[in-house]
Amino acid sequence: MDARLRRVNKEIADCKNDKTSNIKIDLIEESPFHLKGSFPGPEGTPYQGGHFEVDIVIPESYPFQPVKLKFITKVYHPNVSSASGAICLDILKDAWSPVLTLKSTLISLQSLLCSPEPNDPQDAEVAKHYTTSKNSFEDTAIYWTQIYAGGPGPKEKKGKASTARETRDEIAIAGLERAHVEQFEALGFERSKVIDVLRRLNYRGPNVAKLSEDRVVEELLK
Amino acid sequence: MSSDYEISDDDENYYVDDEDMIDGTQDDDEDDIDMDTFGDDFKVASKSKRKSYEIDYESLSQTAVEELMQSDVDHICGIFGVEASTAALLLRHMSWNKERLIEKYMDNPTKVLVAAGITVEEPLSPPAPIRSHCSSASASSRRPTRSASKLLGLASGSKSPKSPSFASPPLKATRPPKSAPFVCPICYDESPDLRPLALDCEHPFCSGCWIAYASSKINDEAEHTIRCMAETCALVAPDAFIRDLLVPEPGAPAGDPAEEAANAATWARFQELLVRHFVASNPNLKYCPYPSCTNTVSCPAAASKASLITTVPIVSCGARGIGGAAQMSQSQQLSIGLAGKEHKFCFGCSIESDHRPVVCGAAKMWLKKCEDDSETANWIKSNTKECPQCMSTIEKNGGCNHMTCKKCKNDFCWVCMGPWVEHGTAWYSCNRYDEKGGVEARDAQSKSRASLERYLHYYNRWANHEQSAKLSVELYAKTEKKMEDMQITSALTWIEVQFMKKAVEEVEKCRMTLKWTYAMAYYLAKGNEKELFEDNQRDLEKAVEDLSELLESPIEAENIPTLRQKVTDKTVYVQKRNEIMLEDTATGFLEGRWKWNAAIEGFDVPEKTEY
Repeated sequence: MDARLRRVNKEIADCKNDKTSNIKIDLIEESPFHLKGSFPGPEGTPYQGGHFEVDIVIPESYPFQPVKLKFITKVYHPNVSSASGAICLDILKDAWSPVLTLKSTLISLQSLLCSPEPNDPQDAEVAKHYTTSKNSFEDTAIYWTQIYAGGPGPKEKKGKASTARETRDEIAIAGLERAHVEQFEALGFERSKVIDVLRRLNYRGPNVAKLSEDRVVEELLK
Repeated sequence: MSSDYEISDDDENYYVDDEDMIDGTQDDDEDDIDMDTFGDDFKVASKSKRKSYEIDYESLSQTAVEELMQSDVDHICGIFGVEASTAALLLRHMSWNKERLIEKYMDNPTKVLVAAGITVEEPLSPPAPIRSHCSSASASSRRPTRSASKLLGLASGSKSPKSPSFASPPLKATRPPKSAPFVCPICYDESPDLRPLALDCEHPFCSGCWIAYASSKINDEAEHTIRCMAETCALVAPDAFIRDLLVPEPGAPAGDPAEEAANAATWARFQELLVRHFVASNPNLKYCPYPSCTNTVSCPAAASKASLITTVPIVSCGARGIGGAAQMSQSQQLSIGLAGKEHKFCFGCSIESDHRPVVCGAAKMWLKKCEDDSETANWIKSNTKECPQCMSTIEKNGGCNHMTCKKCKNDFCWVCMGPWVEHGTAWYSCNRYDEKGGVEARDAQSKSRASLERYLHYYNRWANHEQSAKLSVELYAKTEKKMEDMQITSALTWIEVQFMKKAVEEVEKCRMTLKWTYAMAYYLAKGNEKELFEDNQRDLEKAVEDLSELLESPIEAENIPTLRQKVTDKTVYVQKRNEIMLEDTATGFLEGRWKWNAAIEGFDVPEKTEY
């Protein structure tokens, strides 16, 4: 049997038999070389309670070349692209070793969620958010986990947040303060534009004091 | 290689090595012979007086470069008292910078050995134990007595690699009686006839996985540093280990011939990669850019960037046609026309043809300008960027924006092309739209309309000569036909009609020169010098066109003697004009006579631009 097929089958079987790691690998179609991995968000992080799905493509030269991973579930994380799900992780590039398995790679991915590396970002805007205001970043990450990964959502809002939950809150998705958005909306700009500009300018936490209102308006007028 | 004979013990090994070469790698041998004949050719050529537009260089075959590498390795062996393969890995780690290696090694040998992936992290104590430590895994790369000790007979299974499994060096004879059977941790194969192999770190993997891994690294990634497959293990496989993997021992049971051929090709590729790395590390050397040619040119005169403003280092690797260093007979060359052209390229830049008389900086700028319209250039422009440090063209086909250049290991950001370090703490500016750039772009637009006219003037003439040069293959065929006709219709012999072929060759050569003179003229600042340049250009062009016309003219039996006279005279004249053109431009560069109208790499920026 083809060594690659044998190895992938064994890895899938291993994952099925392992009940402790909570890592699941499923076939997407018939081919064992295009898989879907999933794992729960790690405890004690904004991703807690979420269920994260990862697209796995096994290349021709696996295991001598790394697997190609990307998040299917949208994740708010400095090392994951918020648009495409692309992941910046060393073992998926130069630090790959053929002894690594799908399971160990997914576990590494899980631990990447625990320990973001904002100095080596994949998504610059998210990373900026993380470095300027960690609390606000975490709120946004929790919100994303809630709406995209089926997480429990912000604790304090439990029960009364039904209004926000029905229509997805664009402001919360962008990780901005409602008051800030409304302040500029009052000047006659469209909400989506305001959100776009404020997100780009990183209008959060201590940065708000550094950015003058004029500067924001100037950006809005462009 | 003479140093081998200093140690009498080595003689026997050396002899075996020779035999080995004849057995296994006959191609190399042939190359060697060919190169010798080429070497002689060059000597003959260099006896004649060197023109000011020519440069001194030497062509080296892969074997010759390997000898250079070997002498560096021997040198290091002598100084450090280490095995040849250790010395080779050390040199490679330091990009063949001997001085730096010696300095660092004297400073802290352990650190260097660990960094080069020769010993594992907490080794005993430096130099002395290295010999014994390495001897198991890294036999001298030159010693073909395939030391079976490399194949650690680890039957103990992956769980306890540190168990005393050392004791079975002559492995293939008998496998030690079973403890736990060996299961390869990569392919999960557990069949009893697996051959577990490990480096000094004793991480065992089956030979099949090693071969697949090394092949993937060598063929897919063009990587010559093959590290142990275990996670975070930084040990590098010595050359001898790779060879034993890929090249079956003589007398070994024959495997699948297709597989063996593929492995042999991988081994050849590995050796080529080593040579390429050595050549790339040495500014005096450059690899022949022609497809599947493995020759190298040594040209110390053009090694520095500063030399490129006074010389145009056009060299030739000595081989012809496509592929290796095979020299073609005269008749073969004739029959395939220009396809068997010699491998001429520029030592100073990446242009793979003779771009005299223009210096590299201006030639590169011109080509870039011309290519901006072409589809390929568009593709390259939209899909690739150049590494900001070594200027290698890079295509990004996935992954994140943190790029590491394969060649120079430079870390940079794909978006802003700035160094990656700056993206660490001092924040990110690569998402900002550069307003200044926008203003400049609009400004440039209005200017470009005016300059477009001027550009087209030069471009059309450039393209015309290029097109004519391309058609010269056809002209060759046509001329050949004419030469045959002439032999039939007149009393001329084969040798007497060769003047036609000579003329075609000359025309083609001059068209190349003419082509590039337009690139040069485009960038030359207005003034007397430029006028003189253009006078020379005009004279050459007129002469070439006259000769071309003569070659195209119909042949009538009674005219042949006059035609022959005319063509011969004109050929000599054209040749002279071409020499004058090249000679004058080259001297101009030496004297610093040429003034540019644009900022050309290496030259002072002109104060004002006047066309």
